[in-house]
Amino acid sequence: MKKVHFIGIAMIGIAIFLLSQVAGDMSTYATFHDADQAGEKVKIAGQLAKDKEIVYNPEKDPNYTSFYMRDSEGEERKIVLLAAKPQDFELSEQLVLTGSMDGDTFVATDMLTKCPSKYKDEEIYIKSEKKG
Amino acid sequence: MDTIQYVGEHLWPGRLGHFAIILSFVAALLASLAYFYGTQRRGLPEASRWKNIGRAAFGVHGISVFAIIGLIFYVMINRYYEYQYAQSHVSDDLPFRYIFSAFWEGQEGSFLLWMFWHVVLGVVLILTSRKWESPVLSVLSLVQVFLMSMILGVYVGFGDEAARIGSNPMMLLRDVMDAPIFASADYTELISGTGLNPLLQNYWMTIHPPTLFLGFASTVVPFCFAIAGLWTKDHRAWLKPAMHWSLFSAAILGLGILMGAAWAYEALTFGGYWAWDPVENMSLVPWLVMVAGIHTNLIARSTGYSIRSTYAFYLLSFVLVLYSSFMTRSGVLGETSAHAFTEMGLEWQLVALNVAFLGLGAVLLAMRYKSIPSPKKEESTPSKEFWIFIGTLVLLFSALLITGSTSLPVFNKIYRFFDPSFKGFTVTDQLEHHNKYQLWIGVFIGILSGLAQYLRFKEFNWAKYKNKYWKHLGIGLAAAVGITALTALWVEARAWQYLLLLFAGVFAVVTNVDYIITFLKGNLKAAGSAFSHIGFGLLIVGVLASGLNKQYISSNPYVMTGLIEGAEQDAHKRNIILFKDIPMSMSGYKVEYTKDTIDGFTRTYTVNFQKMDESGAVKESFQVQPNVLYNNEFTKIAAVNPSTRRYWNKDIFTHITSLPESEMDVEARKAIEDNLKYQSADLTPGQVYQFQDTVAVEDQDTFSIRYFNLLVDGIDRNPSHPDYHPEEGDMAIGARLQIQQRGDDTVYTALPVIVLRDQLLYTYPVQINDLSTKVRLSESILDDLLIPEESLDYQEFTLKQGEVAQFGDYRITFAQFNRQPSHPNYEPQSEDIAVGATVQIQDAAGSNYIAQPIYLIRGNRPFNVKDQIPEIGFHVRFASIDPGTESISLLVAQNQNATNTVPVEMATNSVRSDFLVLQAIEFPGINLVWFGSLLMLAGMGVSLWNRRKESRNTEPDAA
Repeated sequence: MKKVHFIGIAMIGIAIFLLSQVAGDMSTYATFHDADQAGEKVKIAGQLAKDKEIVYNPEKDPNYTSFYMRDSEGEERKIVLLAAKPQDFELSEQLVLTGSMDGDTFVATDMLTKCPSKYKDEEIYIKSEKKG
Repeated sequence: MDTIQYVGEHLWPGRLGHFAIILSFVAALLASLAYFYGTQRRGLPEASRWKNIGRAAFGVHGISVFAIIGLIFYVMINRYYEYQYAQSHVSDDLPFRYIFSAFWEGQEGSFLLWMFWHVVLGVVLILTSRKWESPVLSVLSLVQVFLMSMILGVYVGFGDEAARIGSNPMMLLRDVMDAPIFASADYTELISGTGLNPLLQNYWMTIHPPTLFLGFASTVVPFCFAIAGLWTKDHRAWLKPAMHWSLFSAAILGLGILMGAAWAYEALTFGGYWAWDPVENMSLVPWLVMVAGIHTNLIARSTGYSIRSTYAFYLLSFVLVLYSSFMTRSGVLGETSAHAFTEMGLEWQLVALNVAFLGLGAVLLAMRYKSIPSPKKEESTPSKEFWIFIGTLVLLFSALLITGSTSLPVFNKIYRFFDPSFKGFTVTDQLEHHNKYQLWIGVFIGILSGLAQYLRFKEFNWAKYKNKYWKHLGIGLAAAVGITALTALWVEARAWQYLLLLFAGVFAVVTNVDYIITFLKGNLKAAGSAFSHIGFGLLIVGVLASGLNKQYISSNPYVMTGLIEGAEQDAHKRNIILFKDIPMSMSGYKVEYTKDTIDGFTRTYTVNFQKMDESGAVKESFQVQPNVLYNNEFTKIAAVNPSTRRYWNKDIFTHITSLPESEMDVEARKAIEDNLKYQSADLTPGQVYQFQDTVAVEDQDTFSIRYFNLLVDGIDRNPSHPDYHPEEGDMAIGARLQIQQRGDDTVYTALPVIVLRDQLLYTYPVQINDLSTKVRLSESILDDLLIPEESLDYQEFTLKQGEVAQFGDYRITFAQFNRQPSHPNYEPQSEDIAVGATVQIQDAAGSNYIAQPIYLIRGNRPFNVKDQIPEIGFHVRFASIDPGTESISLLVAQNQNATNTVPVEMATNSVRSDFLVLQAIEFPGINLVWFGSLLMLAGMGVSLWNRRKESRNTEPDAA
């Protein structure tokens, strides 16, 4: 056997070891129920409850945004995001939050917002001044 | 339904474009076939005929691609919105310099950009690659066939079953969508473009995509050479041209990636240069594999080992580029990436593209595997080729790890195909995950690049060489440990893993510098690889410094720590609120937001930073100017741009994370304005007016009542207001107000202004933040000023200087001449002869008022400028002057209807809207990241240059 083969086998070994570790970094998108159980950092995907109030009052605390989100099982919880309210947040289609439960509230340290394209093909802007 | 005869459409570019697309597709197919036979029949006389057909076909293909691009630019520049591509990417007000950005903003445009580079590279290859032309161009043309199919826009099949192949960028809007507007024959008059996403309106979008796509496109050349080598079974000769092209490719692709990182850092607000975003990862991975390929290529050329791996790496690099385009263009990344393209219905075509070239490479490599020469004898352990090869395996390993976790969405999608209820895997923390593994890659590469650099290819006399080797390695090791220890004083690497990585980086720098000095004797032309490895080492140190010591200075965590439970969560609190003109203290800086200015759609905020030492003295002060960009309708904020203060050893990076609702959104501003409860009052100057408001106490059924005193101190006909920029002809009036909350000693003064300009009324209210109160003047104040001349009953007085006349209850005194008169309504001209009169008016109560009317001669004609005293409704004109007696004629009238009151409106529920929420990050050592990366790429350039010269001088190509 060549040395290269030994090294190859060693690297495959390391790879298998690392992959077994990777599993710890991965998670399925959790639900609020899971987050209650886990008690640690999870990722939750869901939709913004647009009928509920969104609070961002920078004068009080520029790092505090609160709102309600529905997870994939339809459960709705209050979310506290420890950051400024992102632009166009109200238009979001999907939110992915990273954080953990604190009592009944989900405290998120990070949020990814998926917004519909602002420049959808279906929209045609009519030149109002030309018509009028 | 009748067919509508549309007017105002420009159909010829579309027709020509459709033709060019089809022609280009067919020509590419023909070129590929002709070159295929040119390769198969190589050595036979007919081969050159095939080659000529191939050249001609590729030429037609290239010209057609250029024509398509030209036509798209034509419709975009002329704003022919009847074309869907123009409609969705440009608008009337898009500056010309963004036309290119708008072109490659769309998927079709970026495919065309890619093909454009392939055509350019193809032409260079035809001119330079001699005997490799046929096989290389055959493969390249085949790639072009697949890429052309993406913009073909042809339907295959019938009726509802028809599948569309490609998305044609020359489609008319009315063919793409169904909208009622297409019922009007002149619809082109009614539509306008949606324009370029404001986020993309910057110079990065102009330079980054062409560079990155040239990088992507250039990976096809080593791929083509690899296929050509396998195909023609000439396993050695292709290695030389492939080496040149792969150095070129790695340098350009690296530059493209680096530009992306710089863009992310400088113009976007990710707060960093690298986020392990899937789109970034998938451009990095082909580069890593290409770099691995360069290394095995070097081994193969020097020793004859590693030809098989060179094949594999070059094939893989291009396939990974295709995979990357699948990932970013198919929409599969939707849930994990911030910046992927949207879906376009090309998923299956993209899959086919990937499968086709992966298959071609894999099958050909498997078929030829046995015949690829590989020395029987194993590499000797202390040889350069052995350790470089280990290094390439590490690079491959890195690429596979990144690809693996980035591919989770693909895995999820496949899994969901079988089990729709599958929720899908995701990496909880992308940054942490990738950093954790890539750290070790960095350690290995750093150490190997020092270790292997001193070694020699085909080591034949290790016994003699080893002393020198160990001596240099020992010195390098010792020096690196020492420097690492020193560097660690600056870079706070708290974990041993980081220290090890820091050491690896320093070690790479030290050993390669030593290599240049002692082995190359300073011959910099041969030092390409050493430069690249030094660059890599510096990059590592820079990444560690800027990443580990990155500090959010827009917070004051020390205030919180230990005082509040759960203070570690405050570590995430990275924003600070700055009220205008109120300095805030944060992390050793005094920060103050002083002003904001609007230019076009950009609103720039000026924020002053003052660095304080412990005694509170100012050590240094500077300004940053982050800005926000409003959308084209000025209704919302479309983009936020950071501003960075640069030092040689660190950056301070700032951006606005939030603004008052009223500044971000016109609707919110309207809603807030509508919500204000204005109370109005007609105030007589000098009299105190008292009013009150009631404020609901939060969460209780009670109200608090606040009492205010309001006094009009006077009227100002020449008022100033921070937002009001006077223009000639303005009729402006302001009222000096004094407001006091009862029980509070502070008296606030305010000067609200109202301006009539070209029959438009502008109000400039004043916000008193401490009282949450806004005051403004009601437009009825102008009624007294705008009284028609004919309704005034002027009385004439002829007065000498100092003389007094009586007008009703008023004493009128002509006090003096004024040789340099000024008046808001008078704009002096050079030939004017103008003189003013100061007229004093005293009422029965003894109050004095001053009027300053002007008399002037302009162009031999007399004019006069009226002055008014709104408080008492006086209108005063200086009608003429008698030079003989030095007496003047004054016309005086009093508006009997004047109310002599000032109509004021005030709202006591107006919260302040002059603040911004700022994030400021300090990045130490960030310049090492840029310098190191650039040096790494420059090293490749040096190698390429050196090799080209060397091959010209010493070994003439066997054509």
